[in-house]
Amino acid sequence: MTFERGYRLFLRSIGLLAALIARPIPAHAQDEGIAVGAKAPAVAIHDVDGKPVDIGQYIGKKPVLLEFWATWCERCEALLPRVRAAKAAFGDKVEFFGVNVAVNQTPDRVRRWVEENKPPYRTLYDDEGTSIRAYNVPTTSYVVVVDRTGKVAYTGTGGTQDISAVLRTVAEK
Amino acid sequence: MVRFARILLAGSSLLASVSPLAAQGGYSPTVALVSGPDVGRQAPGFSLPWANKDSVGPASAPYELWRDRGKTVVLAFYPKDFTSGCTAEMRTFAEQYDSLFGPDIVVVGISADSVETHARFASSLNLPFRLLSDPQQKVAAKYGSKGDEGYMHRTVYVVGPKGTVTYRNLRFNALDPKQYAELAGAVRAAKGS
Repeated sequence: MTFERGYRLFLRSIGLLAALIARPIPAHAQDEGIAVGAKAPAVAIHDVDGKPVDIGQYIGKKPVLLEFWATWCERCEALLPRVRAAKAAFGDKVEFFGVNVAVNQTPDRVRRWVEENKPPYRTLYDDEGTSIRAYNVPTTSYVVVVDRTGKVAYTGTGGTQDISAVLRTVAEK
Repeated sequence: MVRFARILLAGSSLLASVSPLAAQGGYSPTVALVSGPDVGRQAPGFSLPWANKDSVGPASAPYELWRDRGKTVVLAFYPKDFTSGCTAEMRTFAEQYDSLFGPDIVVVGISADSVETHARFASSLNLPFRLLSDPQQKVAAKYGSKGDEGYMHRTVYVVGPKGTVTYRNLRFNALDPKQYAELAGAVRAAKGS
């Protein structure tokens, strides 16, 4: 390779690098969550009583639903009947976890809420924020569905998500 | 050859200007150009209209950062009033105010919303601090928090009593308990700076 050719190649590389770096962040990209199609992180956290729970034990073996919630989240409350219906229909094929985000929460408050509302999932308490960072959780009522190959098949937020329709696609594959 | 070396130097500088973002707080899956004062630098001055849970502040008396010299100030830039992530963040600031900030700390939230929307948002969450309106995101731009389509990036700065930045998090996650704990520690440290 001549010096001139190498020099031109270098200039092109710098231009490409600058274009990549200068690419603006899309509107509140930090609030977008994990990408559909991404490999689901196999995080280990614990339940509200401190017992360790390794979500990685289930990922890649069967479909998994994760809902990130809080007791103060009205949209999570609105979503609850839909999660119950989905659990009734797909509970034998899909593993359900409700990950309490542990922000502005205490274990006692969460225990009381669980006792009163009996949610249809295994309640986890992420006071280290491990899963929040791994899944880039943007808000409460955030639902992540992982298919049996361990890839993120769905993400969504809000109280009107059609959880059963989502699970039908991953449970029947 | 001299030109080649200059370009090499420019390329290295470009990369170096990005790396602090990656290092800051350790939460950086997205590479982007950011500006804004780093820790140890003077916090850029600004003046913005405000509202709190009770009313819209008088236009003749905007919030001015320089007036809080001698105090520790927390600047929380956030995307938009009444959105879920911002509600979670502001609600946590309000309900955990004593443990996060404590007495004699000035906290202000900043977004592109109008002061009227801010007043409704502050009232709905009973916020014990002011919300500043920066519709053109001019102040957000000074702090590396300007976003697209009227949504600021969620960032947090702590400005110490001497007016210098003592802490910043350019990717604050409203649901990460560790980041709130880190912020509380930064506020405590700033009081003595």
